[in-house]
Amino acid sequence: MTHILLLEDDAGTANEIALELGAQGYAVTHHLRVADGLAAARGDDVDLLIVDRQLPDGEGLDLIERIRAEGRRTPALVLSALGSLDDRVRGLRAGGDDYLAKPFALVELVARVQALLRRPNETRDTRLIVGPLDLDLLGGTGRRAGRPLDLLPRELKLLDYLVRRPGRIVTRSMLLQDVWGYSFEPNSNVVDVHMGRLRRKVDAEGEPQLIRNVRGRGYVFDPAV
Amino acid sequence: MSSIRRSDPRTRATWRWGGAIAALLVVQSIMLAGLFWLLANGSHRRDAERGFAEDCRSLATLSSEVRRVELREMLAHDIHRDRFLALFAPDGTRIDGNVARLPPHALRAGSTVATITPTELPGKTSDVARLRTCAMPDGTRLLTGVDLDNAEGALRIIERSLAYGLIPGLLLAIGFGLVAGRRAATQVDAVRGLTERIVAGDLDQRLPVGERPDSFRLLCAHINLMLDRIQSLVIDVRGVGDDIAHQLRTPLTRLRARLERGLREAGDVAAFQASADAALDEIDQLLGIVAALLRVRELEDHARRSRFAPVDLARLAEDACELHRPTAEDRGIVLSCDIDPVAPIEGDASLLIEAMSNLIDNAMKFGPVGGHVALLLRQEERAVVITVTDQGAGVPAAERPLVTQRFYRGRHDREGAGLGLSLVKAIADLHGFTLRFAETGSAVSLVGPG
Repeated sequence: MTHILLLEDDAGTANEIALELGAQGYAVTHHLRVADGLAAARGDDVDLLIVDRQLPDGEGLDLIERIRAEGRRTPALVLSALGSLDDRVRGLRAGGDDYLAKPFALVELVARVQALLRRPNETRDTRLIVGPLDLDLLGGTGRRAGRPLDLLPRELKLLDYLVRRPGRIVTRSMLLQDVWGYSFEPNSNVVDVHMGRLRRKVDAEGEPQLIRNVRGRGYVFDPAV
Repeated sequence: MSSIRRSDPRTRATWRWGGAIAALLVVQSIMLAGLFWLLANGSHRRDAERGFAEDCRSLATLSSEVRRVELREMLAHDIHRDRFLALFAPDGTRIDGNVARLPPHALRAGSTVATITPTELPGKTSDVARLRTCAMPDGTRLLTGVDLDNAEGALRIIERSLAYGLIPGLLLAIGFGLVAGRRAATQVDAVRGLTERIVAGDLDQRLPVGERPDSFRLLCAHINLMLDRIQSLVIDVRGVGDDIAHQLRTPLTRLRARLERGLREAGDVAAFQASADAALDEIDQLLGIVAALLRVRELEDHARRSRFAPVDLARLAEDACELHRPTAEDRGIVLSCDIDPVAPIEGDASLLIEAMSNLIDNAMKFGPVGGHVALLLRQEERAVVITVTDQGAGVPAAERPLVTQRFYRGRHDREGAGLGLSLVKAIADLHGFTLRFAETGSAVSLVGPG
């Protein structure tokens, strides 16, 4: 079972996170303080750290820096109420692998956790065949069960991104960040409109849905359907 | 009370100024008088000595009898009766002249000041004179001198004029010092009174500057400027606080009502879920407002320049267009992009595309349905200009200074919290760009630093 160490000083938030991650099948250990967290993080059974920045006895980033200095590569997701983009940079520099600003949606947290735990299949393959989908990245074409999908270049990239992360939640901000290469929160639902078009092309009427909408702000590609 | 007054730094400063100026005047007067006295005295002495030398030389050339006659002659011509001339035998007895005896000290070659006994000044038995003795060829000694009463008188006059001049001068100096000190204290008092009133909460107070300001008044003008800025900031902060409360209250009220209704009316799981979903949407909107506010504040802190890197605006503009094109098509809006290659600028790509995205978003929101929105990127002389136009009415001139304020909403028939343009402005400011509205039509430009 995947073991997640959570360092968060707000009991309510910690409880919600633990429940949500527990429901996703992760085992969560929760600590309040940097000192306790540091001892736990040195254990061998920890697969992922979720660390809040402002803790009662110090700065969460210090913990990450400490264990990085000890040579531990355990992936770490930094949480912060500061919500500042400079903090994000500082968090990543300290050895955090991803950064999430409070307030965040639980879907977003789960998606980031999944992304950190399982590195995507970033092979250099130019041809992807997953389930009924057949993507030719060089030729810029895609087919579903033989049916040409008539994808725009951006739509092909979006589909490529989803297909490499089967069964995992992909959020709007992840798509904007990884497919477009910008990190900002659009004022309107521009990413959803792109995804809507892609879904209409991939999932024709009557066909089982390969791309599902996850309530809130994400999408899941599910080839097992 | 008086001890408090004395320890009052302003009173101390006043007295210090007055005292300092008075002392300066006294020192200067004494120096001037002393110098004058020294110079006058020196000149008088040189004149006298020249005369003594002349007497010694001319009387020495005469025979003993003629010398006595000549000496008498000279005394007879001394109508001011300020000369002393006498001949003494080698044993010191007086042969002739108007001085009773040789002064007790052996007289040197130059001249000296000594008290002598005049014989021909009625009512005077001693007098102070500058004098010299010289030996005559026949062994007698000649005493030649000049009464110092005149010189003494001149000295007295100097002393008196010094005293008479110094007293009103001192009074003037102290008076001036007090006035100057008082003036400085009053000026400081004015500023202090003002700051006290400001601390008490009255930010409308301003210092008087006057028509022709001196340096202190210029300082006052600067303080006033600073107060203007502080006041506008405070109004801003108050406004933002009020606005945030208002902005959050409405959706919170709606959210509460929705949850209440859901609890009361939803009969099955699906209905509950629908009501919870709607509530989540509301909450996401609220969180969006909070996040946007934090971002505007963060950008205004200008702390983000550390992440600046060369940015190709043409690529950003194309990406922004591509990002919004499906949305535009869905709304029946033609989104056209006219992009010239421009020189790279130092900036933050994510922020710059966010600004463009917000402008395009606004244009699509406020332009007419089925209209035309255009994004233009131009190199104008040395400045890069990003322009977004639509076919709407544009921002009325009167509202232009307002639209970049947080929560300002020109029209309430469109959704949004009114944070878009404040974010754009904050991003523009951070990059040294200015936000410009077209005089006519609906066009907003970001103009790069030339």
